[in-house]
Amino acid sequence: MKNRLRILRAERSWSQADLAQRLEVSRQSVNAIETGKFDPSLPLAFKLARLFNSPIETIFTDEE
Amino acid sequence: MQCLPISKAGRRYIYRLAPTMATYLAFFFIAQWTFHHLHPTGLVVYLLAILPALPLVGSLAVVGLYIAEESDEFERSIIVQSVLWGLGGALSVSTIWGSLEDFAKAPHLSTFYILLFFWIFMAISQPFIRRRYQ
Repeated sequence: MKNRLRILRAERSWSQADLAQRLEVSRQSVNAIETGKFDPSLPLAFKLARLFNSPIETIFTDEE
Repeated sequence: MQCLPISKAGRRYIYRLAPTMATYLAFFFIAQWTFHHLHPTGLVVYLLAILPALPLVGSLAVVGLYIAEESDEFERSIIVQSVLWGLGGALSVSTIWGSLEDFAKAPHLSTFYILLFFWIFMAISQPFIRRRYQ
């Protein structure tokens, strides 16, 4: 699943480790989600949405 | 090599697995010493023989607890996949070796080693599974 995490992260000057710390997951988790190789669960997607103060559908798109 | 931070569940996994393995070693030597020096008979033989296996069964419960407690869903998925590889590998080896024993008269391999194969395949598979997500 494609997403805008890298952009949203860059806008805040957060590293993957920074985001991982805020989400309470490993940096590898953030990298896997960001590269679209791992789709987060709904609870984690909502957590990301709250963190970036954006609706889920503006962060994730279901196009391949 | 990059050092991976360990989650709370990961730390609990290590804290549980280390004493489980230490208990296995202790029970193994107790059983071996007792069989060699006291030559038990009857029901005691069965109880002593089972003794070292109990912590090994417990090690599977430790893996199960880790999967249940790991809040990082990505890390949990890595472990679940590696467990599946461990199970698949152990069952494949035991099935192939069983066939070799039946038809090619290969030397007998104790079923005790199936768990060892499970751990080996589980451990080997993890870096390959992680690489898929990089």
